[in-house]
Amino acid sequence: MDTRFTRRQVFGGSARLGLALACGVPLLQACGSSGSSSKKQTVSIKDGVKPEAGPLRILNYDSYVGPDIISAFEAKYGIKVEITTFTTDDEAITKLASGAVDVDLHHSAGTSTLYKLIDAGLIQPLNKSYLTNIGNVSSSLRDPYYDKGAVYTVPYTVFGTGIGFRADKVDPKSVSWETLWNPTYKGVTSILDDVREGLAMAMMRKGLTDVNTTHPAVIKQAGADLGQLTNLMNIKVEIEGYHTIPEGATTVAHTWSGDMLTAVGYLPEGTGDEVLGYWQPDPAVINNDVMCVLTKAKNPVLAHLYVNFLLDKTNAQTNFKYVGYQPAIEGLGAQELIAAGLVPAHLSSCVMSNDQIAKGYRYLQLTPDVDALWNDAWSKFRAGG
Amino acid sequence: MANAAGAAPGGHRNGFWGALSLPGVAWLLALFVVPFYAIAAVAFGQVDPILRTAAPVWGPWSWNFSAMSKVISRVFGGDLAGVVVRTLSYVGVSLALCCLIGYPVAYYVARHASRWRGVLLAALVLPFWISYLMRMLAWVNLLQVDGYFNRLLGWLHVGGSRNWLDGNWPTVVIGLVYGYIPFFILPLYAALERLDKRLIEAGRDLGASPRRVFQRVTLPLSVPGLMSASVITVLPMFGDYYTNTFLSSGSPKTEMMGNQIERYLRGTSQPQTGASLVLILSAMLLVLMTYYLVVTVRAQRAVAT
Repeated sequence: MDTRFTRRQVFGGSARLGLALACGVPLLQACGSSGSSSKKQTVSIKDGVKPEAGPLRILNYDSYVGPDIISAFEAKYGIKVEITTFTTDDEAITKLASGAVDVDLHHSAGTSTLYKLIDAGLIQPLNKSYLTNIGNVSSSLRDPYYDKGAVYTVPYTVFGTGIGFRADKVDPKSVSWETLWNPTYKGVTSILDDVREGLAMAMMRKGLTDVNTTHPAVIKQAGADLGQLTNLMNIKVEIEGYHTIPEGATTVAHTWSGDMLTAVGYLPEGTGDEVLGYWQPDPAVINNDVMCVLTKAKNPVLAHLYVNFLLDKTNAQTNFKYVGYQPAIEGLGAQELIAAGLVPAHLSSCVMSNDQIAKGYRYLQLTPDVDALWNDAWSKFRAGG
Repeated sequence: MANAAGAAPGGHRNGFWGALSLPGVAWLLALFVVPFYAIAAVAFGQVDPILRTAAPVWGPWSWNFSAMSKVISRVFGGDLAGVVVRTLSYVGVSLALCCLIGYPVAYYVARHASRWRGVLLAALVLPFWISYLMRMLAWVNLLQVDGYFNRLLGWLHVGGSRNWLDGNWPTVVIGLVYGYIPFFILPLYAALERLDKRLIEAGRDLGASPRRVFQRVTLPLSVPGLMSASVITVLPMFGDYYTNTFLSSGSPKTEMMGNQIERYLRGTSQPQTGASLVLILSAMLLVLMTYYLVVTVRAQRAVAT
């Protein structure tokens, strides 16, 4: 059998495909749009509304809230909680914007991308009359730069960016950003798999503190500096320091402070927590995740009550035992957490003080063109170039 | 009149058999043509001004090719050229290993397994019962510094302290071969099993040695099967990103095209770049597919004559 395509078949096929596309384009046109650049207004719920019957649907990172807290909230209000997970901040925004997930509460939105949720009208202003524990929020985050007047958000956790290390293999006094370029630790060093964190770290190593720089040469140089790590250090690029350090697979890791507190729970049996160490510059890059209620929430009152539940100091402390990330609650600082036996004294630097939070460097929104410069520099580094 | 009367049943038959292809055509349209067009609409589209997510432009008359143009310059001679070469190399070496390992296995099962054929076929299908993710995680356990592989090397006094998961290309290639070799063996087995035994017997009857019969009869006749198996294996390998993710701790040394695509599509506000990379990869695969079709057609014509 001759299976060659004749010219007639090719033209016929093309014509049919063209017809199908011509018919399909208007249909597809309805799906997605280039959007509007104007901010969409949303309104908060009214006072004194009774809680809904649930279930309360939450969008969160995996394992980023304690099961005990969920159970306690379910028991208190007689409802069920359903958690949908995401892996990156951008993924969460895409899912929410496209309607791929239908939830009541975004449990852990990033602050540098929060403007997207606000401007797109995806989250609603909070009604503070439901948030009786709002006074417990850390004083440094009551009027945050990312949400002036705390209209839309309540901070969930707060953390710094630094270096986690094995104190039994590295002299704690010698640790700095330069340690990540020290060939002594070749093959056992990692940096965070995050474009902003990675490039900002390379900039800070050179003494630069503008972690939102728009200068192409600075961004390019930071990417080139990271590129040295590929062969010099056989660098790993991951966010697994919380378990690879305690397990011994990584000796030096560019990591978040919360990961080093989480790491305590991953130590092998018989290994003391004194093997863990954490360093960060002063000031450091500070981040925090925030909770916000979706505009399309079917259970907005329950969502408010859940936020309020987590603002309770006792509940926040219970949640910290599981999550390992410092709650943004006044009175749950290093001293209190050490006294409660929840943080080893030598890891007190993993807990951010109000002063550190206030003066810390923050990742701000970048314009699309500058964002592309950052992403392309990171992409080049990741490509091994 | 006679022609018309004769044409009716024929037309009915053609319509009936043609209708059988409708589910396949619908499937192809829904799950290939439309998604592929959507990728083009993203690659040549815009970004939502607020959310910075993809804002596909469905009408080709409004397409913008600037992102594609930039990606082409990065892929051909720019900072992404290394990733393309690396991906081609990894897939090439993996395919060669699939041929070396898979052909003898498929040949044995098809030609010599006799009553064990069913058992061996079941064994070949067995990996599909376990998710790809789990199989890769198993490799992580085997290859980690204190894993069984290093313990074996230590026991043999030939090393045993190497970290195989920090950006070693052999580890990624082994992962690719392990993950995709069942896709290679099964179609090849089907092709070898269908070979006309009379041709092989004729070769033997004419005095050729078993090796000569294999070289002059079996191997040439199995080329279409070999090509099918290669295509089925190579296509997913080119777009693979999770094998490298799992087996190299995110090392830039082993980054593949799939990793760049995943990053741009999921983790940045430049989805057009990711979608453009998808289209470039598809164009490269189209070259391979065309070659496959040409070889297959030639082989069929050779058999027919």
